[in-house]
Amino acid sequence: MYTATKVAVLALALVAAGAATAQAQNNASINVTAAVQQPITVVAATNLDFGNVFPGVVKGITLASPAAGRFSVTGQASTPVSMTFVVPANLTSGLNNLPIAFSASWNGINDPAGSGFTPSAGATAATLSGTGTLFVFVGGTVTPSVGQVAGAYTGTVQMTVVY
Amino acid sequence: MRVPESIISLCFAVSLPLAGQSTGVTGVRGLAFGTVFPGVSRVVVRTDAANSGQFDLKAHPGATASLTFLLPAVMTGPAGATMTLVFGANDAGFSASQSINSQVAFDPRTPYLATFSGNRASVFLGGTANPSTAQRAGNYTGTITLTVVFF
Repeated sequence: MYTATKVAVLALALVAAGAATAQAQNNASINVTAAVQQPITVVAATNLDFGNVFPGVVKGITLASPAAGRFSVTGQASTPVSMTFVVPANLTSGLNNLPIAFSASWNGINDPAGSGFTPSAGATAATLSGTGTLFVFVGGTVTPSVGQVAGAYTGTVQMTVVY
Repeated sequence: MRVPESIISLCFAVSLPLAGQSTGVTGVRGLAFGTVFPGVSRVVVRTDAANSGQFDLKAHPGATASLTFLLPAVMTGPAGATMTLVFGANDAGFSASQSINSQVAFDPRTPYLATFSGNRASVFLGGTANPSTAQRAGNYTGTITLTVVFF
């Protein structure tokens, strides 16, 4: 009788243990991540200025000239970007046109002796410097006709930079 | 003397299968917002196979389990900067088939009672990151924990 009682207690203990294992709790974790990039800022720093031109005389502005156009870009350091341009085929003065062609270069530092490219050729790949800067220089050539009408001719060069 | 031995044998026969059941939860994939920009919110939906968070669950068919998330309010970045996280009522999904395309949506902010049809299931999680307009550039991280109580 004594033995039987002990076994019964043991049996109840085992049943209780079995019931305890029927509910199990588990934890697991994952990371949530994001990378904030510096937004791109483009500043039109200097206009491309041909100054006075004369009928029938072609005039060019080199990239190294103080009269060359320049854009300053800031963004995420050491990051590739894509540059696209909208450039006119002519400068205009009222209804009169003055044909123009463009050249350009980009550099991580403020130096026109960088990588040359043709703005009208489509998207151009570039890379922001280690401090997140990019400089784009724009030169060009205007070709006045011999009968070019006198006047102030203007146009707009638009640059878009994206990551 | 023979009766007590029979009782012991019966008890082991009942308790051993319960102890041998395999249940668990594993973190499979982090919730990744990727590149974000200051002032521009980024949403990752729970059906995004590349960027949603994923946990895999293991249980016996027919089992039920409560799923409870511990969700951070922010991610932490450079110099202690924080980025706000938001989880909505439709941002978690339970899939008894482990298919990201077959989920039952639930609110990750409150416990959810799931039922297993097989012995494996998955939980998917989306959310929204809200970088401020002056958000400091850099990498941000946080931890999401899923607690599963199997019944």
